[in-house]
Amino acid sequence: MTTLDRAPFGVTVRIAPADRSDALERRLAELGLRGGVEVRCLQRTAGGGRVVDVAGARIALGREVLQRVRTEPTGP
Amino acid sequence: MALAGAPNVGKSTLFNALTGARRTVGNWPGTTVEVGRGAVAVGPQTVAVVDLPGAYSLDPMSPDEQLTRDLLLATDGSAPDVVVVVASAAHLARSLYLVAQLRETSRPVVVALTMEDVAARRGQRVDAAALTAALGCPVVALDPRRRSGTERLVTAVEHALHCGPLVPRPGARPAGDEDPEADLRLADERFGWVEQAVTAAVHETGARARTWSDRIDRVATAPVVGPLLFLAVMWAVFQVTTTVAAPLQDALDALVTGPVSSGASWLVGAVGLGATPVEGFVVDGLVAGVGMLLTFVPLMALMFLLLAVLEDSGYMARAAVVTDRLMRRIGLPGRAFLPLVVGFGCNVPAVAATRILPTVRQRVLTALLVPFTSCSARLTVYVLLARTFFPEHAGTVVFAMYLASIVLVVLVGLALRSTLWRSMGAEPLVIDLPPYQRPTVRLSLSVMWLRLQGFLRTASGIIVVTVVAVWLLQSLPAGGGSFGEVPVEDSVYASISRTVAPALDPAGFGQWESVSALVVGFVAKEAVISSWAQTYALAEPSSARSPGALGDQLTATFDASSGGHGAVAVLAFMVFLLAYTPCVATLAAQRREIGTRWTVFGVLVQLVVAWTLAVVVFQVGRVFW
Repeated sequence: MTTLDRAPFGVTVRIAPADRSDALERRLAELGLRGGVEVRCLQRTAGGGRVVDVAGARIALGREVLQRVRTEPTGP
Repeated sequence: MALAGAPNVGKSTLFNALTGARRTVGNWPGTTVEVGRGAVAVGPQTVAVVDLPGAYSLDPMSPDEQLTRDLLLATDGSAPDVVVVVASAAHLARSLYLVAQLRETSRPVVVALTMEDVAARRGQRVDAAALTAALGCPVVALDPRRRSGTERLVTAVEHALHCGPLVPRPGARPAGDEDPEADLRLADERFGWVEQAVTAAVHETGARARTWSDRIDRVATAPVVGPLLFLAVMWAVFQVTTTVAAPLQDALDALVTGPVSSGASWLVGAVGLGATPVEGFVVDGLVAGVGMLLTFVPLMALMFLLLAVLEDSGYMARAAVVTDRLMRRIGLPGRAFLPLVVGFGCNVPAVAATRILPTVRQRVLTALLVPFTSCSARLTVYVLLARTFFPEHAGTVVFAMYLASIVLVVLVGLALRSTLWRSMGAEPLVIDLPPYQRPTVRLSLSVMWLRLQGFLRTASGIIVVTVVAVWLLQSLPAGGGSFGEVPVEDSVYASISRTVAPALDPAGFGQWESVSALVVGFVAKEAVISSWAQTYALAEPSSARSPGALGDQLTATFDASSGGHGAVAVLAFMVFLLAYTPCVATLAAQRREIGTRWTVFGVLVQLVVAWTLAVVVFQVGRVFW
């Protein structure tokens, strides 16, 4: 179990189910970033964030956000 | 009929395509959130259309979303008869959460599917028929940017209006259940429902490739290069709003003060009222006021056009990413950088540019900070004073004023945030980066025109009335003499200035000549120098570089009022000039963007800051100088 800020670039990872529900969690879910979804980090951005591929959409996330999103390895 | 949907799916574009030239934009009472209103012919009847602010769901997290929720779920008959949810084929899953929520009620829903071309480029095809079946409401694919498919949408809306309420989808929660645990379960259930619909309707037709949007983003959002590119874009915006707009402004100004004024004089004379107060009222009051308003038109038009292009192209979202960290320090999102930069050219378009900010609080805070950015009109006064009093160090003094301006923005921003908005946490950066697209000329121009109309409608009154009021005060004799024929120093205007002057004694410039210049500066900073010229009955210096006789008079005035510390008093005066109300046009723009109460609050904050700083500068300065 690791977090999105440490996921390697260009590799598909799966988001782990959220353990709490707050405003940020809900906002991320609305954008498609929720448990079980596969995403891919595309590149670093100025200010320490990343651009993430979520179902074809490009979402820019700040470092604080990336550190909160837990991921799990893909595969069966 | 209401248009709803997630941000950036083409709602407003669809709105414009549907309603054409019949649209109007009004400020919703109580907030500055804009709701577009228009009408469209549906069969034999005309149906009112409301364009709602973007919202992903009916769970309000911002005033915009609250407004959308209140309108859509109203039970008092003001709710729309049919809701058109605009959904992007490229981001189908997140566009449909709102549909999931609306389908829990019996409100008729029609889904308008946009951006199929973007989805296709990404190798996805959305089957509208399958989606209709899965959602239980009609789905119409269309392209509002090219205005195709809107007739089909109108037909579907007509049909929905005839059929009346829908049967709510199964799984809807009982009303009034506010248990947070249930909330979480319910959200999961909705996401599940949406996912089923998406799976049923979306066909992958090819591999996902890196798009050219991604390639641009490798540069536009990258560390180091991204911020540099952003600075270049800001520089270009600043250049356009200053160097390109300035000649147009000057030309309009020359036209109004020249031919139009003499034409008006001639007309007044022709009806037999020449050389009466009527002539003064028309020429120095009305024509001057309208003329001032006119000079802002090219500037505002350019600003609005640039904003439209930046927004439509998709670059604004990238700019927000790049500047996020820097602006976060004063509690503003990255996008607030743009209005603040523009403010150094002119505060009026800068205040209007605050509307790119997503929440009302951010808009209010930024609009309150904009007046502290030193606009180019203030520069002319700095240069004249610096050349007169600090001929050796004029450049340094002017530069210091700009530094002071930046420091003021940061400090006042921090102060406001730690007092008024302590709860306003710096929201973490979560931004959708829409694919880049070429801005369409028609769209950009129509957005520009819409915003320009709004500015003229709300700002024109306050500007013209203020110019007329100052003229009136200058024409009214305080003691003897007849209306319109008094020298300025005997007018009501001068006597008011004399009354106010003692309040500025502690700052070293409590003299009516200086104070009245500040009063005129409230109308427009450009007028400060001409006001001095009028006061001292001298010709206005041909350029700020050669102060000449006016400089001698100013030196005498400031030396007298400050007890021999003229130079320090001038510095205090310049600081006051920097911090107090920029001009009446800025106030008009503020009133439009953040409402009358916040505008008045802003004026008070600026006066307090200006007075305090000026007093501190003078009292500390005269000890050393």
